Amino acid sequence: MRWTHKLSLRVRSLFGQSAVDQALDEELRFHLEREITAKIASGVPPEEARSAAMREFGGMEQIREECRDMRSVNWIQDFFQDLRFGMRVLVKSPRFTLVAILTLALGIGANTAIFSLVDGALMRALPVSDPQNLMLLKWTAHGKSKHLSTSSYGDCQENRDASTNGGCSFSEPLFHEIQSQAIFSDLAAFAGGGGLALTGNGSASIVDSAQYVSGGYFQTLGVRPSSGRLISSADDTQSAAPVALLSYAFWKSAFGASPSAVGKTIFLNRVPFTIIGIAEPRFDALSPGNQTQMWLPLSSQMRIELPWDNRDGNSNFWWLVMVGRTKPGISRGQAQAAVNALFVNAALHGAKPVFNVEDKPAVSLVPAQAGLTGFTAEIATPIYLLMMAVAVVLLITCANVAGLLLSRAAARQKEMAVRFALGARRGRILRQLLTESVMLSIAGGALGLLFAGWIMTMISAVVATEDGLAGAYALSPGLDARVLLFTAAVSIFTGILFGLAPALRGMRVDLTPALKEAVGNFPPGRPIGRWFSVGNALVVAQVVLTVVVLAGAGLLVRSLQNLRSVDPGFDTRNILTFNIDPTSAGYRRAEVDGFDQDLQNRLAAIPGVTSVSYSWVPLLGRGLWTTGFDLPGKPKDETNEADMLTVGLDFFHTVGIPLRQGREFNASDLAVAAKDAEAQAAQSERVAASVKTGTKGLAEQNNNEAANLQPVPVVVNEALIRKYFPQTNPIGIRFGASVATDADPGSSPGWQVVGVVGDAKYNNLRREIAPTIYAPFTGQGAYFSLRTAANPSSIIPQIRSIVAELDGNLPVDRIKTETQQIEAQLITERLIARLSTFFGLLALLLSCIGLYGLLAYEVARRTREIGIRIALGANSSSVLRLVVGQALALTLAGAAIGIGAALGVTRFLNSLLYGVKPADPLTFIAVAFVLAAVALLACYIPARRAMKVDPMVALRYE
Amino acid sequence: MTKPTDLVQGTLDLLILKTIALEPMHGWAIAQRIRFVSNNVLQVNQGALYPALHRLEQQCWIQAEWGESENNRRAKFYSLTKAGKKYLDREEANWERLSIAIGLVLKTAQG
Repeated sequence: MRWTHKLSLRVRSLFGQSAVDQALDEELRFHLEREITAKIASGVPPEEARSAAMREFGGMEQIREECRDMRSVNWIQDFFQDLRFGMRVLVKSPRFTLVAILTLALGIGANTAIFSLVDGALMRALPVSDPQNLMLLKWTAHGKSKHLSTSSYGDCQENRDASTNGGCSFSEPLFHEIQSQAIFSDLAAFAGGGGLALTGNGSASIVDSAQYVSGGYFQTLGVRPSSGRLISSADDTQSAAPVALLSYAFWKSAFGASPSAVGKTIFLNRVPFTIIGIAEPRFDALSPGNQTQMWLPLSSQMRIELPWDNRDGNSNFWWLVMVGRTKPGISRGQAQAAVNALFVNAALHGAKPVFNVEDKPAVSLVPAQAGLTGFTAEIATPIYLLMMAVAVVLLITCANVAGLLLSRAAARQKEMAVRFALGARRGRILRQLLTESVMLSIAGGALGLLFAGWIMTMISAVVATEDGLAGAYALSPGLDARVLLFTAAVSIFTGILFGLAPALRGMRVDLTPALKEAVGNFPPGRPIGRWFSVGNALVVAQVVLTVVVLAGAGLLVRSLQNLRSVDPGFDTRNILTFNIDPTSAGYRRAEVDGFDQDLQNRLAAIPGVTSVSYSWVPLLGRGLWTTGFDLPGKPKDETNEADMLTVGLDFFHTVGIPLRQGREFNASDLAVAAKDAEAQAAQSERVAASVKTGTKGLAEQNNNEAANLQPVPVVVNEALIRKYFPQTNPIGIRFGASVATDADPGSSPGWQVVGVVGDAKYNNLRREIAPTIYAPFTGQGAYFSLRTAANPSSIIPQIRSIVAELDGNLPVDRIKTETQQIEAQLITERLIARLSTFFGLLALLLSCIGLYGLLAYEVARRTREIGIRIALGANSSSVLRLVVGQALALTLAGAAIGIGAALGVTRFLNSLLYGVKPADPLTFIAVAFVLAAVALLACYIPARRAMKVDPMVALRYE
Repeated sequence: MTKPTDLVQGTLDLLILKTIALEPMHGWAIAQRIRFVSNNVLQVNQGALYPALHRLEQQCWIQAEWGESENNRRAKFYSLTKAGKKYLDREEANWERLSIAIGLVLKTAQG
């Protein structure tokens, strides 16, 4: 009852504003008249009565104001009044307003764009329902594993060092064991896969990324189909008809979003699959950046990939990632303890124990949101670095606008003094000034959205390649609610940050002199010899921050240059590479080699192609294979490591790796390798069989076979010779032979060196060139490399038609020039170098404006002083010194502090740098020079104005 | 002539409420009445009176109504609400207790 009345009173006084004010006026007027009447009645003459009453009454406006205050809705009215007034003030000085808004737009826009990157790439919730209750299983151990093979597809962070061994892949038997216990209400396992030849849908193509999932996968995640149905438990059995679920994006790109795709039969590595549905659009990758094109039941994995690793039912092959939701009533701790018991038992007491007790193997349950980092782990550092850079740019913006406001606060002293004199309270004026600055920053933020859009286009342009990390650099789709909220929050915060100091300063007004000053005059300057002023401090702060951003940008740019100009050891120009995998179309090992050599000859006949070869992966294409091996006369523990790459005939000549000693491979080398691979394959099949039947005496048989085989001829690089065979003539050396034991029945006749080549980068420009073994290529999908006389891209149509002539079912995939390969590899470096340079220049521009603003204001303020000096005989060079001296002093102070600060900060860039130290003197000197040059530029106009001061005009000011 | 006594806020509220407890009154009449009853000792300034009236209205202790004044002009008449009556009783009792207590202290100190 009472509060409704109160509410109606407030609503009335808020919205019936003018009516309430009128009533108050009438009430007060009545009081005054009544007083006058009373005075006249008591015998005072009318005129005198009137003036006495008026005098007693006091300030009408003050009473009005206080009554309004009493109605306690004032702050809302005040707010609107402040807005109106602020708008008037800002419109009145359009140049200041424009500069401030533009500056703020740059600062806030840069932050919005990078936040969009942070949000899109690092902060997305997993695209599943109820993601916070989805748990991921991770294992750790403090020792080297034994008898263990693992496979992973970058879903979580792994580390396979002995000291910090760990990952999130588990064996299939463990998955089934955990599933059989009453721990999880839903448990799903999945593994990556890909490189599947897709036929039966137009021309043959490759499915790059498929995911094999257990039957309960989609139920566990709570994903919905956009059409058709999802994979269910019934699909995940050996007897079930093979089915496939398409991702929304793949359905659109490969099937033209055709509604008839569902129900269609396609062939994956020549095995028929029925498409049963399309996943909902948002579910394109479980782990961020790990885009999936197609989901297949786990049980179908063995049918379409070659059974080369015998992973099913093998406790020593860890390849499944597990996520689950605990049963109601079972806590995370209880579930973890239960799973841990199963895991430790399997790892310590299996048929072939993977760990010892002292390795302390353990499993933990972590929220999948935190654990399934996908590719984000690799890009988090550069993105946070960019975020820091734009935060610094925003600080510069704040300092800049604060400086502008400060000089304006000085010019507005008279206004403030009048308002104080009229009885305005301090809090009220502070609120008014802050309202003005927040209005500025919100306008800046709004304009900043446009600018942000522009930066985002720039980011998209850099990451618009199809492979590598490009998928991980995701921007928020458009300007979504979170990004807008961020921008609004940053704008308001910025407004208060840059507005507070000038506002507080503006309130420190000494009334009498301020009111006495002539209109348009500037307040008196600080006493001579006092160097510290807020304006100077703000400019120094801007210079300091600019040095930090510029130094960081300089180092990143130099790293990119170093990476681009690093000598990879081969000729990267005019090479075209593409992938082709005859095994996916059912070719047998022996057939593959024939096919590859045939194709090599046909491609070499294309006019303009000077040389053709092929290898397991293309150089600098991110793929890497390392191997452990034994040296003759050393312990047989395979602790010696080398990179391994299998290559075809004429490879070194084609890519341009110089031959130092011996010879390249010839046809008989390839034949030896093929025979060896044949024997290895036969042996691993026997091992698989013996695991199941428990046959003994296998090792002996293998040893006999190994003795019958010839060593495989290999070509090694100089790094390997330097490390392992420094003293001897390397040609003809045999190494890497292994003898089979019962524990490890694999045996090998080893390698024999036939040639030595120069050192060349393998997978990554940053990685040091390691000892490398090149072995003859046999029996796999290959990447062809073609060296051309001119632009290599022009021969792509001929390649396609030649492959189609050989076999129409074989897709040609991943066609790329070596240059594109390198650019794709440098995506992070290019992105951060370009953006940080951009932000560095932005910072430079802003602090240049800041310095200019301060100097222009100082010159205007000291016009009279300068006039007097000139009148007293000062020449223009001493006036110039006055202005330039201040500019240089501020810049040098800023640069000195800035270099100190930058030295502290750039250490954190170390992991992103290449070939340049965080304290690189050249970069720092260059930054200092650029700053000095810009500072001189900034003081050009104010200095000229100062020198042109006419003493007569200046003195006549008063 | 003594200076008009500065009235602490709570006291002014009490005086206003007590004054209009008898009958609805407009602002000028309230001020006159307080001065008259206090033998010209308590002079309520307009600058204090009207904000106080508006505050009391906002608190719902008094309500306002436009009516005809004694000289036939439109004037705003304030009257006590139920809540205001309760508040007045409570405050009056408080004041009574306080003034007796202060009186006691002063007398004891004297004697």
